[in-house]
Amino acid sequence: MSKQINVALIGNPNTGKTSVFNSLTGLNQKVGNYPGITVEKKEGICKLPRGVKAHIIDLPGTYSLNASSLDENVVIELLLNKNDKDFPDVAVVVSDVENLKRNLLLYTQIKDLKIPTILVINMSDRMAYKGIQLDIAYLEKELQTKIALVSTRKNKGIDQLKELITNYKELSTEPCLNASEIDKEYFDKLRKAFPNQLLYKLWLVITQDVNFGKIDRNEIDAINSFKTKGKADLKRLQQKETIKRYQFINNTLKKGQTIDLKSAKDLRIKLDRILTHKVWGYLIFAVILLTIFQAIYDWSSVPMDFIDSAFASLSEWTKNVMPEGAFTSLIAEGIIPGLGGIVIFIPQIAFLFLFISVLEETGYMSRVVFLMDRIMRRFGLSGKSVVPLISGTACAIPAIMATRNIESWKERLITILVTPFTTCSARLPVYLIIISLVIPEGRFFGLSYQALTLMLLYLIGFGAAIISAWILNKILKIKSKTFFVVEMPNYKLPLFKNVALTVLEKTKSFVFGAGKIILAISIVLWFLASYGSGDDFNNAEEIITTQFASENLSSEELQQKISSHQLEHSFIGIAGHAIEPAIRPLGYDWKIGIAIVSSFAAREVFVGTLATIYSVGSDEEETIKNRMAGEVNPILGGPLFNFASGISLLLFYAFAMQCMSTLAVVKRETNSWKWPMYQLVIMSAFAYVVALIAYQVLK
Amino acid sequence: MNTIIQNILVFIAVALAIWFLLHKYGVLPKKKTSGSKACGQDDCGCH
Repeated sequence: MSKQINVALIGNPNTGKTSVFNSLTGLNQKVGNYPGITVEKKEGICKLPRGVKAHIIDLPGTYSLNASSLDENVVIELLLNKNDKDFPDVAVVVSDVENLKRNLLLYTQIKDLKIPTILVINMSDRMAYKGIQLDIAYLEKELQTKIALVSTRKNKGIDQLKELITNYKELSTEPCLNASEIDKEYFDKLRKAFPNQLLYKLWLVITQDVNFGKIDRNEIDAINSFKTKGKADLKRLQQKETIKRYQFINNTLKKGQTIDLKSAKDLRIKLDRILTHKVWGYLIFAVILLTIFQAIYDWSSVPMDFIDSAFASLSEWTKNVMPEGAFTSLIAEGIIPGLGGIVIFIPQIAFLFLFISVLEETGYMSRVVFLMDRIMRRFGLSGKSVVPLISGTACAIPAIMATRNIESWKERLITILVTPFTTCSARLPVYLIIISLVIPEGRFFGLSYQALTLMLLYLIGFGAAIISAWILNKILKIKSKTFFVVEMPNYKLPLFKNVALTVLEKTKSFVFGAGKIILAISIVLWFLASYGSGDDFNNAEEIITTQFASENLSSEELQQKISSHQLEHSFIGIAGHAIEPAIRPLGYDWKIGIAIVSSFAAREVFVGTLATIYSVGSDEEETIKNRMAGEVNPILGGPLFNFASGISLLLFYAFAMQCMSTLAVVKRETNSWKWPMYQLVIMSAFAYVVALIAYQVLK
Repeated sequence: MNTIIQNILVFIAVALAIWFLLHKYGVLPKKKTSGSKACGQDDCGCH
């Protein structure tokens, strides 16, 4: 059996760590969570020379081993715990050729842990452009390691890196500097008190606020022969340590790196001046947003129509080839239409993530964060809140988890509470289907009304988030300090491989994450819509035949009336009619009511639910959109999905808190049920009132 | 016979779907993972 090497990819944010990970692992990667916490864990397998395999973990980006967030703790915890099954045989520190000085701080700390370490200097293709020259032999000697000069963009240096990983046993495990010189006496005492422990590991445990693995800070405090210092003294020592490390790095780079400023051609400053300009910056951002929404509509229509009719045909085909019976009906009328209701949105979701990924890859997203900070401050939030609010367009769950890097608890809490207002991808199916039903297809200055409506809904979501933030900032009496630091990475062309992997991963998680829930809910709904108790349900055929005996109905029309009567008196019909009085003023019938109730599990269930309910008892091969367009308002007559009820539904979904997973994550992040319950009640009540007003005004 | 089998399959599918949903939304107990950890910040509320 060939040996598997554990490799940890570590580095500062924006050093291209994930690109290196993608180059090493290709499609052999999976995304999960670290046990017990919801920090994303990316791991993959890389085939190395001579039949060796490497298990690669892409650790969260961190600037140093002085943790200030849960993400950074993950890195330190793994590096300190030799018993962890993922403990690295070799650490690969990824640095960016343009920010070597800052990146090397983390490298020198990891070297102190005596783990074999390889230094990757990434983005080497920019060296000539930036006038940078490196003396690799000198750097390797001073930094006591092997260096791989890599360019993931040009696919250079990856083979050399693989070779270095294979031969990791030849790497030096000696630190590059003696950090204990900052306070010899203190470190000598520490060494004597714990002779069997690694000195730098002890130092990290003492200076961090959390406990790692088997070494507990309290245990250190409990040893009589050693008294640790006070918090302020430890902070001072940490600062001395950082200064010492930078002195070493400066001296090393003075000889190992030369930068010819004359030959550096910098477009970045010019671009930054325009893209972060207080007028042009916002205008350009608005134009980019408009282009994205227009493209989502224009490019997706053909594949969406294809998927829609393919599912309708699949449903019909299933009915024809399978023996008649309840299970066949479950598949043809429950499962296939329910799943079709989610698969149809794959093209639009994929295009949305494609654009977001390209904006992130080019470095533009950091400029958006910087731009938005100016607005955010007026509403009691910091620029760091922008990252969760923007990533909330994908899903509120990772967005809420992304608030962990907000240092101020008040700002973090407010961001957690308002993030669910931003338009997540689960709302997209609801918006798209309703917009296509109630908004006309015309154009305004080349932009379709439908795309403009979609963009407006995104802006309403964002607006609701910042207005609620402003209100919460006034209401919540929590004292906290605030500061904002954002790193502006260099502009670069997006790497196709990275973009493709992001789109694939995000779309897959949307389809499979929601797909399982929708499949289960479709089955339950179909059952509730196909079974019932009481004479009205069991004797539907007899009742309808007698009732319409005098009318000359065709057998098809009669069958439709029987199915409709049965549905009305099925379990779901009874439940739907029970909630109808509450939703009737909003312009909805009992079927929409059921879809709204079931979508409290997850918003995207709405379309699947309606697709399932409308399919039960229907023999026609029909697309979801056509079925919805054909629904008639039972009281007023005319289409059920008209402009008034459609706008009312769109606004309801824009504001209502309909995602049980988000509520669970909010509970986890705030450590209390109080906040998610506030969210659920206040957001949903507000959504109801707004939807009610919209329908009553527009009807 | 065919009708009976189809009905049995339907009830199995419905039972599995309900079981999945109850598990998913925490009505039925899940396997315990290691306890939550503090994030390292003084004022985050999770300590």
